[in-house]
Amino acid sequence: MKISYNAIAQLLIALLVIFVICILINNLTLNLIKTGLGFSFAWLFRPASFALAEHPLPYSPSDSYAWALFIGWLNSLKVIFYSLLLATLIGTCVGLFRVGKNALLRIVSAGYIAIIRQTPLLLQLMFWYFVAILGIKETITSPIGDLLSISNQGTNFLGIKLSAEFTSLLIGLSVFTSAYIAEVVRGGINSVQKGQWESFRSLGLRESTGLYKIIIPQALPAILPGLTSQYLNLAKNSTLAIAVGYSDIYAINDTIINQTGRPIEGFIILLLSFLFLNLLISNGMELLNSMITKSNNP
Amino acid sequence: MKNRYSQIKNLKRVAFSNTVDSIVSLIIISIGITTLLTLSKWMIFSANWSVVSINLPLFLFGSFPNDQLWRPGLWISLFAIFSLITILGPQWSWLRKSLLLLWISYGPLGVFLLAGGIGLSSVESQNWGGLTLTILLTSCSAIFSLPLGIALALGRQSTLPIVKNLSSIYIDVMRSIPLIAVLFFGQLLIPLFLPVGLEIDRVSRAIIAFTLFVSAYIAEDVRGGLQSISRTQKEAGEVLGLHPFQITCLIILPQALRVALPSLTNQAVGLLQNTSLMAILGLVELLGVGRSVLANPEFIGRYIEVYLLLAAIYWILGTLMALIARHLEQQLTLEKKDL
Amino acid sequence: MPPIIKATKLTKSYSKGIFALDNISISVEPGEVLVVMGPSGSGKSTLIRTFNGLETFDSGQLNVLGIPLESQNNEERNIRRIRKRVGMVFQQFNLFPHLSILDNITLAPIKVQKRKKMEAEQNALSLLSQMGIASHAKKYPSQLSGGEQQRVAIARALALKPELLLFDEPTSALDPERVNEVLDAMRRLAEQGMSMVVVTHEINFAKEVGDRILFMDSGKVIETSTPDIFFLNAKHERSRKFLNQIKNK
Repeated sequence: MKISYNAIAQLLIALLVIFVICILINNLTLNLIKTGLGFSFAWLFRPASFALAEHPLPYSPSDSYAWALFIGWLNSLKVIFYSLLLATLIGTCVGLFRVGKNALLRIVSAGYIAIIRQTPLLLQLMFWYFVAILGIKETITSPIGDLLSISNQGTNFLGIKLSAEFTSLLIGLSVFTSAYIAEVVRGGINSVQKGQWESFRSLGLRESTGLYKIIIPQALPAILPGLTSQYLNLAKNSTLAIAVGYSDIYAINDTIINQTGRPIEGFIILLLSFLFLNLLISNGMELLNSMITKSNNP
Repeated sequence: MKNRYSQIKNLKRVAFSNTVDSIVSLIIISIGITTLLTLSKWMIFSANWSVVSINLPLFLFGSFPNDQLWRPGLWISLFAIFSLITILGPQWSWLRKSLLLLWISYGPLGVFLLAGGIGLSSVESQNWGGLTLTILLTSCSAIFSLPLGIALALGRQSTLPIVKNLSSIYIDVMRSIPLIAVLFFGQLLIPLFLPVGLEIDRVSRAIIAFTLFVSAYIAEDVRGGLQSISRTQKEAGEVLGLHPFQITCLIILPQALRVALPSLTNQAVGLLQNTSLMAILGLVELLGVGRSVLANPEFIGRYIEVYLLLAAIYWILGTLMALIARHLEQQLTLEKKDL
Repeated sequence: MPPIIKATKLTKSYSKGIFALDNISISVEPGEVLVVMGPSGSGKSTLIRTFNGLETFDSGQLNVLGIPLESQNNEERNIRRIRKRVGMVFQQFNLFPHLSILDNITLAPIKVQKRKKMEAEQNALSLLSQMGIASHAKKYPSQLSGGEQQRVAIARALALKPELLLFDEPTSALDPERVNEVLDAMRRLAEQGMSMVVVTHEINFAKEVGDRILFMDSGKVIETSTPDIFFLNAKHERSRKFLNQIKNK
């Protein structure tokens, strides 16, 4: 009796869902007929005929849309990868300051986190691009020779040239994500029992030694899941590249939809790109996680 | 005198306990002072705040018809009044009891005041903008996404495989797409899925897209809350002969929502910030107004003034929202305690 | 009068060869207080949780208040019919932390028995004063001591006017000095003629209030005797060993 009741409920829900989907598809078909476009991916192999300022691999406007999308995908990967490193670096430092002994550092990092997390990322990106980078009047060079120089044309880091768009996106994404990573790091360190701090102090270990040898290894299992979700957020947030004119997968997809007028196909391409990107990040973190747990329990 | 001495000793302990600490502290203090000096010098001598004062109505109300400005004005003032009541905590229990209702009705009230109807002349949504539109997008999306998110969370815990799987797929797919894509395709695709001839404006499309997106995140927060409630609570309900539906609504959900409240508040503040994405998708909400002001040749290059203003508004609003959520919970439990 | 509970050859195993319930036959008469004792993991809790359908069993027959329970796939409505007439008190109280004491007690009468709010509240208040905690009606569970919470839990179970009360180690989670206030409340219920099945380690309660003692080990009923016989002259070696262990504690 109970089983059949469940079966009926499920059947009804399934029918309802199918019914709604049918209505939506019916509307879609009618609308597509009205616009006269239909559904097809054949356009992928036609020439894109737009230029790209940044392309890690050779690209010219006569190349296909598919190739343009691939370049966009590589551009996304590039900015995500470098932001991920930089954000982790800044975030870990701020997170450690937040739980550190120096009260001034604690206050400053708390203020940093509060300001960054309470203002929109888009606003921050615009600030970095229009004010911080494009606003530079003369080239700023680091004290040590050619290590790093920044101008409104972009950055020169160890002889590698980075565009102004890439630089501001890199800084913006890293700073924004670092505030969240700092909170993850702080939470992880706070999750270690107070007794662990007392016991390494009672053994006469120095504060920094205790932190790196005792506390952080125990905090890592609590930190990694939070870190993974911040990396996934970073990847999704990188699509705001369009606001500073950096050609990532989303921006190129946007241009292509404007040219071809095919939003459905564009949506599917973007969805697949991001499912793939998410898999890449979560599998990478899984690997890191298993490496750490292995080295912790040999 | 003794007090001053202990203060100095305290300062020494927290910031100058050893050489490295002292150097770090001195560097921070000097950077802090330099920044403060530069900023105040800029504020007083270089900043030109006329870009803000001249455009203030634009920042607040967008291009709402001049003779009707009292409508968004009233609505925003109500926000301030509601916030004040919630934070101060009124003595009358009838008012405290209706606080939640007050906040729930705030979004629909805004739609009525802005769009018009029943005695008010109608104003097209193209003319909505500025802070008003930002708050409208936030409050309406929040109201719709909370019930949808709760339903999805319950769906994901359902014993019916089809409900469970559909909810899971929806939540996981939605959470893997960037918000800007959801909003962009929301603008493009929602009209395609509607019956031929039926059209909805850009603001409604944005609210639908935000709702679809945020509810997936709310669902995961609520699910976290549901999982934190001990199984024995369900058993205690069962032995009293309560129906499974009653157990969920009367026992499990109220506790789960209270657990999820901090993360739900974060979602709401995140939503407020994310409404700024509509600035690059054709709506002139707060950031959109900022962009259009900066594109005006009269105010060219006044980036810092405008961005500072916007950052301050978003920061204050976000902080206020967190405060309201905390006080609202307190007021509601207080109401029960002196029943 | 027919027995309130009639169980015949109840069997349940979680994994092969390990029995939570091993061929248990028992009946509880109206007005009787049955005390279930045994070492932890002996299946006592599992047994009384089958009486109101919180646990299923693999084979055997069970009849509670004239309503038969099948071994698997019971109709939910049948189980709820039993639960409306059988109250249960848990080891960890399991009060609803988001509801006041009064709301905890009136929830089921209002929602399940569809009684009027006023009437349910009056009944709840009189139950609370029976338990000696009427002054706490408007407080929340977290503001009460363990013993007070457990007495609220008993009042909550009584609010549905049950014909049978099940107690699953009601005093095990309490501070020692709080145990007696709960046991006294249970004693008064027994004196009023309430049918009860009590899982407990409290020897004095079992001696004074229990009509029969059921001793279990490894899912089996080792012996069923009156308290006089069980505590002075237990028939089985295992019972005597168990009694020695808890006496020495």
